[in-house]
Amino acid sequence: MTTAWDAYRPTADNPWTLQKVGHLYRRAAFGATWAELQQGLKDGPEKTIDRLLRGGPAAPDFERTSDFMAAERSLPAGTAGTQLAAWWLARILHTPHPLREKLALFWHNHFATSLAKVRNARFMLEQYRLVYRHALGDFRQLLQEMSIDPAMMVWLDTTESVKGKPNENYARELMELFSLGIGNYTEKDIREAAKAFTGYDIQKGKGHFEASKHDDGTKSVLGKTGNWKAEDVVSICIDQPACPRFIARKLYRFLVSDTEAPPAELINSLADQYRASGFDTAKLVETILRSDHFFGPAAYRRKVKGPVDFAVGIVRGLEGNVGPLPLAQSLENLGQRLFEPPSVKGWDGGPAWLNGQTLLFRQNLALAITGTEDSRFGRRADPVAVLAKHGCKSDTEAAEFFLGLFLQNDVPPETRSRLLSYLDDARAAKFPVYWTPEDVANHRLRTAAHLTLTLPEFQLD
Amino acid sequence: MSTRRDFLASSTLLGFGATVPGFLGRTALAAPAVGKAGAKDTILVVVQLTGGNDGLNTVIPFKDADYAKYRPTIGVKKNEVKKVDDSIGLHPAMADLAGLLEDQALCVVQGVGYPNPSQSHFRSMDVWQAASTAETVNEGWLGKALKQKELPGFHLSSGGNEVSPLALVGAPARVPSVTSIEDFQLKTTAADAADKTRQKKLIEAAANGTASGSAQPNGANLLDFVQRTALNTYASSQRLQEVAKNYQPKSPYPGTALANRLKLAAQLIDAGTGARLFYVSLDGFDTHAGQGGANGTHANLLREVSGAIAAFYKDLAARGHKDRVCVMTFSEFGRRAKENGSNGTDHGSAAPMFLVGGRVTSGVVGSHPSLSKLEDGNLVHAIDFRRVYAAVLDQWLGVDAKAVLGSSFEPVKVFKNS
Repeated sequence: MTTAWDAYRPTADNPWTLQKVGHLYRRAAFGATWAELQQGLKDGPEKTIDRLLRGGPAAPDFERTSDFMAAERSLPAGTAGTQLAAWWLARILHTPHPLREKLALFWHNHFATSLAKVRNARFMLEQYRLVYRHALGDFRQLLQEMSIDPAMMVWLDTTESVKGKPNENYARELMELFSLGIGNYTEKDIREAAKAFTGYDIQKGKGHFEASKHDDGTKSVLGKTGNWKAEDVVSICIDQPACPRFIARKLYRFLVSDTEAPPAELINSLADQYRASGFDTAKLVETILRSDHFFGPAAYRRKVKGPVDFAVGIVRGLEGNVGPLPLAQSLENLGQRLFEPPSVKGWDGGPAWLNGQTLLFRQNLALAITGTEDSRFGRRADPVAVLAKHGCKSDTEAAEFFLGLFLQNDVPPETRSRLLSYLDDARAAKFPVYWTPEDVANHRLRTAAHLTLTLPEFQLD
Repeated sequence: MSTRRDFLASSTLLGFGATVPGFLGRTALAAPAVGKAGAKDTILVVVQLTGGNDGLNTVIPFKDADYAKYRPTIGVKKNEVKKVDDSIGLHPAMADLAGLLEDQALCVVQGVGYPNPSQSHFRSMDVWQAASTAETVNEGWLGKALKQKELPGFHLSSGGNEVSPLALVGAPARVPSVTSIEDFQLKTTAADAADKTRQKKLIEAAANGTASGSAQPNGANLLDFVQRTALNTYASSQRLQEVAKNYQPKSPYPGTALANRLKLAAQLIDAGTGARLFYVSLDGFDTHAGQGGANGTHANLLREVSGAIAAFYKDLAARGHKDRVCVMTFSEFGRRAKENGSNGTDHGSAAPMFLVGGRVTSGVVGSHPSLSKLEDGNLVHAIDFRRVYAAVLDQWLGVDAKAVLGSSFEPVKVFKNS
């Protein structure tokens, strides 16, 4: 019997195409370069997915440089969110293992902790390291460590919760947002669980258990009664059947489709596997990425690009090297301040990313990155240079290149002809007298890149 | 001041046919001139207090001995409250709002909530925004109202992380979010005017593409959703650029984020854009720890709300729009009656709502929830919020409330002569 999660095998009817490579790189990375698209097309799904799962080859200086930039001297506790976001974006732009960064982004959104309340960049950085460490690892371990993670303890008031005066904030979100989902616990479970989280505070930058402030009485949580501490309640939550389903459903939304709820049987089969594997997130991700379902119509263009994906996809596609700080600043307008999600629920994502204002900011950011007028980005992601590098000379070649690179040519024929007409008609413009013929040619090509990026199809993942 | 007819006459982007954005809808064309006697040209501004506003420290039963007992550290002293009547008063940070009682322009609805309240922020916010306790909700109460009647509107976004609210979902055309008029434009780099026109035409043509279906972003028509959002945005953007940029308020606004956004609403109203619906949120009300009493975190939030709404009302009143405007506040829930051990409050249920405008019932509606009859430590609601919505829909916006709310809710008397 075959199921939707069986691996995709190319056939004559359902061949391996440039669209599929582009789709894979949008979901399992932050978009592809021209070379990655060509290589993926040549290698086929198995080998390409292997490479994304494994990551690498690592540039020798990557982690060292990143650690150096994260030293307390560079990022002290009082660092602003934009600076911290820039540090992460630099990793995302240059990482040898984009899938792992992508999953770190998933877990950041899952545990949605904000610097706005934590007010300590060192704590936020440590929480990033925690999610990165377990991004493709053991969810049980991640959830246990998260419960005594300093940033989380400030964010959801665990540090304020002491015997006799429990604060319910963490207990509630642990069940509602981190492990079970609404409907799988009662208000009583929350009040009881809150007692187990009393007596934890932060000492020397680490979560610390203070027995004298802990309520060591009996608690009854989700039908289990005992003298529970924090780690016991976390384990009780993980043991609920709702837990693997909850995480599988959320990961499905992240990797497959954020517009349609999947049928229960699809999720149940992922959840069973997740539990059986001991909550091995890498295996769960691998099953999804290799599947027939992932390469089918239920997934293709069924997500709205997130701001990080939008911006990084452009820069990576153009093989540019823009400064991460202006990029982080731009993302704030697009609705995604890394390290400062809007609430503990994280970013809603999906269609909510686009609201008119954010759409305009996206189009204007694409212009700033591809154009010459915005000094923040300069010409460090230059469409003209990329065209030259890949040997595109004529107008037709330029249009084909951008449509191929960013949309794998999957646009209506009218769009292609409009783009070609623009390149042709633009020759007739009254250019400023001081523009050289090269300026004129470059203007047309840069505009063709920008126009490609404004197409509605490019908003979809 | 330009009128909306001038405004529409000056517009240049025509020919969208059936996909004409809500912003330019038929009502804008047909609406009577502002100030004309009998003009049913009402404006609704919804102010969402995100995080669960502590209603008990907003509208304070200062005489109740239980209040002081439950709130030993964060309680507000009897002599500090802004008295509304002889048993309740507003938090001292809400002096500006309390001042509107003299203008007969403030209505306090007490003890508002819904049955079997959820204490999840997200679930409860969905209930309020959808005006439904159904398990799955996909559409908002204002989105449904917009299906019945075209009411041009804006979500006044703070930018950054804020997304368009569920309350507006379901409208035939997506209600645009605007952060500032200057930012609300599509930029190009062009060699000359003709080049600019060619670029914009290509961008608009792609948005106009095959757009045919609904504005609902589900499944197969996700591309369609992007196109309609883009189309509506480009058209609205062009109009907004024609709106005067230098707005001189008739009454000063405080320098807060909420005040800035309400000033933007005043600007859009005054420019005659025909906009009648505004939605704005202020976050930060989830005060589990260190909430403060007469001063502190919660007081600062209430001051921002009170100052912004009062300034907005006074500005519009000075322009002759006093009787056209109604501002309504809500939060997803109130907080536990008894403060917690962190000098804050955990999630609760019933809380007050405010309505501000020249035609609201001035003073208090309903009685303060009893502090001696709590349910699980929470205040019990006496007024279902959908009864307030019913009044706003039926009597203010002229929309059939029953169709929006799914069943009949007896409107609360929040408007004069209603």
